[in-house]
Amino acid sequence: MQLDLFALLQIPEQYTAMLQRYLAAMILLAVLIIITKWQGIGIGNKLIVGTIRGTIQIVLMALILVYIFALSDLIVIFGVLTFMGVFAAYTARSNLERIPGVMRATLPAILVGALSVMAVTIALEIIDWRSGPGEFIIPMGGMVIGNCMVLTSLVIDRMWSNAQKQRSLLETALALGATPMQATELTIRESIRSGLLPNLNRYASLGIVSIPGLMSGMIIGGVNPLEAALYQVIIFIMIFLAGMIAALITSRLFLREMFNERAQLTVPPPEL
Amino acid sequence: MVDSPILELEKVSMAFNGKQVLRDVSLNLHKNETYGITGPSGCGKSTLLRVVNDLLSPTSGTVRFQGKDVREWGPQELRRRVVMVPQEAKMFPGTVRGNLVWGLNVHGMAAEDEQLKAILQEVRLWPIDLDGNAENLSGGQKQRVAIARALLLKPTVLLLDEPTSALDTDSALAVEKTINSLLSDYQMGVLIVTHNKEQAERFTSRVLELENLSEAS
Repeated sequence: MQLDLFALLQIPEQYTAMLQRYLAAMILLAVLIIITKWQGIGIGNKLIVGTIRGTIQIVLMALILVYIFALSDLIVIFGVLTFMGVFAAYTARSNLERIPGVMRATLPAILVGALSVMAVTIALEIIDWRSGPGEFIIPMGGMVIGNCMVLTSLVIDRMWSNAQKQRSLLETALALGATPMQATELTIRESIRSGLLPNLNRYASLGIVSIPGLMSGMIIGGVNPLEAALYQVIIFIMIFLAGMIAALITSRLFLREMFNERAQLTVPPPEL
Repeated sequence: MVDSPILELEKVSMAFNGKQVLRDVSLNLHKNETYGITGPSGCGKSTLLRVVNDLLSPTSGTVRFQGKDVREWGPQELRRRVVMVPQEAKMFPGTVRGNLVWGLNVHGMAAEDEQLKAILQEVRLWPIDLDGNAENLSGGQKQRVAIARALLLKPTVLLLDEPTSALDTDSALAVEKTINSLLSDYQMGVLIVTHNKEQAERFTSRVLELENLSEAS
């Protein structure tokens, strides 16, 4: 007789198939970790921790999502978005732990970038939030905040690693009297451009190569496909604008971590 | 010399992670003067220039420019007047012209092509394609662009770190001659780091020889 672990653990039948699928997906994760180890990419542990943490977070989120989606008070909704923004800044920091002062630069940037764009979108009624404020604003805010997190992390990572690798060029600029802002202008511009690139690609191939989650979800949820499609374009514009604002703020705030008040470079050379 | 020095270093010391690199270095530089800094590798010659340019703050001691502690100058204002040409001539991405005017642009200034041509003639780099990619220049050409870029700022103090290391003798002599001729035009003083003793004797009026503190101790 085959041992039924799920029955033994008294897991309701309706969840067993789902859990089996989840466990089967771990084979894919194992393959991924083997590849990263083989290629020396060194993110294996992060993937494992991320999977465990992500699973717990998303399960908890799923359980409370019903209540969050039911929210109708805009102040409470913005409170939830603020919490998400703080968590995004914290996540950016923990993924860039070798770099000091990440949260000081990302937190205000993500909050200002994401929340201002959400506020304007709501004020101008660009999205029809009145029919279900929580249902519309929270997931859209999540996408906007998530993108701000990715972009601000990338800007900081680039600024820091460029300052390490191209110290002499940076100091050449400073030696000619450039401000830290002028000396890093090119790096900032490049990092924003490359941070926006994946989304620009998705934007360009919208509907042909990429079938975005928001639109699919709305169609599955019974929304008119035309409306869902237009919402997807709107969300992309929101993502770009919020990301741009957050990246610019983060880049300026992060200069304080790279230079002192005498405009001297304080970034240490790379460790061997 | 009767006039007061434009640059004074008073007992300047510098240590990195507890390792002493400079100890009690004092010197005075006057306008129209070229002052040489020599010494073995690792004796802190480049560090000294970086301290003067305020890219590094000394562990102890004072650097005064035009009688005022450098810490009282705004960093950009100071570096526009006390300009350093680092040993490694780095080019900013872009054209030769863009590189030449880079320093001017950050201070909100510009230069006509005629001015660029004149300065490039002085450093023996004319004719050159001003719209060419600066990264494609040879080491010696980059070094001359870096010197021209600094000279265009009309500095009061020019800090040169091994400025002719990638140049042949004729070009090195031409650069020295140019700098000498600009001393009185710009009312400028030059602090030059060189490992080349002949250059120090030929080009400078006074020489300070630094010792390698890590070997001495």
